[in-house]
Amino acid sequence: MPILKLENISKSFGAINALNDVSLSINPGEVLGLMGDNGAGKSTLIKIIAGNFKPTSGKLIFNEQAVEFAKPMDARNKGIEVVYQDLALCDNLTAASNIFLTREIKKNFGFFSIINFNKMYERSREIFRDLKSETLPEEQVKMMSGGQRQAVAIGRTKLSKAKVVLLDEPTAAISVRQVAEVLDLIKQLKNEGIAVVIISHRMPDVFAVSDKIAVLRRGQMVANKLAKDSSPEEVTALITGAIDTA
Amino acid sequence: MLKPRIKVSNLHEIGLLLALIIVLVIFSLTTENFFTQRNFLSILRSASYVGLIAFPMTFVLITREIDISVGPAVAWSGVFFAMLIKWYEFSYLNAAIIVLLWGLFTGYFIGIARTKLFIPTFITTLALWSALRGYSLFVTDGRPIALSNKPFRELYGGDFLNMPTVTWMMLLMFIFFWFCSRYTVMGTNIYAVGGNPKAARSIGINVDRIKIITLMITSFFSALVGILYVARVSSGNATTGEGMEFDVIAAVVVGGTALGGAVGTMTGTLMGVLFIAMISNGLIHWGVDPDLNKVVKGLIIFLAVVINSNITFKNNSGPKED
Repeated sequence: MPILKLENISKSFGAINALNDVSLSINPGEVLGLMGDNGAGKSTLIKIIAGNFKPTSGKLIFNEQAVEFAKPMDARNKGIEVVYQDLALCDNLTAASNIFLTREIKKNFGFFSIINFNKMYERSREIFRDLKSETLPEEQVKMMSGGQRQAVAIGRTKLSKAKVVLLDEPTAAISVRQVAEVLDLIKQLKNEGIAVVIISHRMPDVFAVSDKIAVLRRGQMVANKLAKDSSPEEVTALITGAIDTA
Repeated sequence: MLKPRIKVSNLHEIGLLLALIIVLVIFSLTTENFFTQRNFLSILRSASYVGLIAFPMTFVLITREIDISVGPAVAWSGVFFAMLIKWYEFSYLNAAIIVLLWGLFTGYFIGIARTKLFIPTFITTLALWSALRGYSLFVTDGRPIALSNKPFRELYGGDFLNMPTVTWMMLLMFIFFWFCSRYTVMGTNIYAVGGNPKAARSIGINVDRIKIITLMITSFFSALVGILYVARVSSGNATTGEGMEFDVIAAVVVGGTALGGAVGTMTGTLMGVLFIAMISNGLIHWGVDPDLNKVVKGLIIFLAVVINSNITFKNNSGPKED
């Protein structure tokens, strides 16, 4: 049973058709690798799922119900979380403060309230334990490795009990050693039954974790198949247009 | 699992505490009247006026903004206060309320100019720096507006339980700002805005609102200090607070707050305030010319920033993508 389904989604900006009749679906505990060259429509698609854009036509079906997102908050409230490439972390705050930013656990004293750091550290420690990451909740983010930073960003999505997590270029701009760490995080999300969409240019990373591969070219979905039935060579050919569809 | 670690901020504060003690010992040993209760109260008094503005200024700097209009804002607030009472026969209380509201309004104006018109706070407050001093001199003709209310003078300009009233206020405000910075959502949001404004905005923090509030609080305290100065000298003077913006910003920066934002603590600022006040006072005891005093203060702030940015740089060169 798919948790998220896109039916015949099209999006145009004036005369430009960014997406043309795109359909795809993703099940709980499944990882979908979304691939395509720059300008192929990946970002537009992500932004439609995340509630930044409304599709020009087509339907979004979440948990078997047609949904319309007017703003990103609507998507978040449903359980769709996006981790952007720049991770949106504040370097000068601790891991726990970053995870809980705008959703702090508070102790109330009538007319004022203070942040309950102990509870936040405790909960963050659980989140990192679940993600099998060695990130310390009390540590400032600026001292952290790329993999740990990714863990903090993904930790945010765990706080809201996300059902679908979209990862935008999660392995770009980090070292090879840290890539393994991030891929482990993705497998962890999958094991917990979360549907994961990763957008990436790095073919080996995508094939290492994905169950399904979808390829966009000039706003068209040119492939949507099981990863084991495809190959990096085929996907490269699809992205560049050497093969028409597969 | 928990690695003990000396944080950058702690390192700076420990260094500053040592510097404070060294300066204290040097002045105490080399002059006769430095190490006396009377002199300490005098240092505390002058530190308190600066401190009251330096705490909110710390927040402003953390959010990557600045307010350099402090000195003229203090002068104008005092003149305005005295004017309302003497010329327009307002009660002390009503005059104080109007002046404090004026302070809030000024901060709001600076904030709106920054967030809606995209004018850097440096520019807006530079304009205010000139305008407020000029207007204060213009309306008073450069002459003090004298007030003669003994209870007002004795309570707000004098002592309370053997300590300057303004020092009590400063300590109270230190606790308030320290608490805010460490334990409240507002404090966390201020650091978040300074650390990564784009991320703060994308995650749902109202960045503009945070900046406007910190600027309003700073202007409010400038207005309050203006009134407290009137209480001290029993008159509103257009020349009060000359160079005060320097003392305030110097104290905050010496205290370890980065001009680029994100980093800074209230304890650091408190020590910075005491440090600057102690140096100014000690140099007078040494008989250094008041003009040269300014030269020495200039050197100190420069050195403090050199040391501070080097510590910060070394500790920040860990793993980081950008």
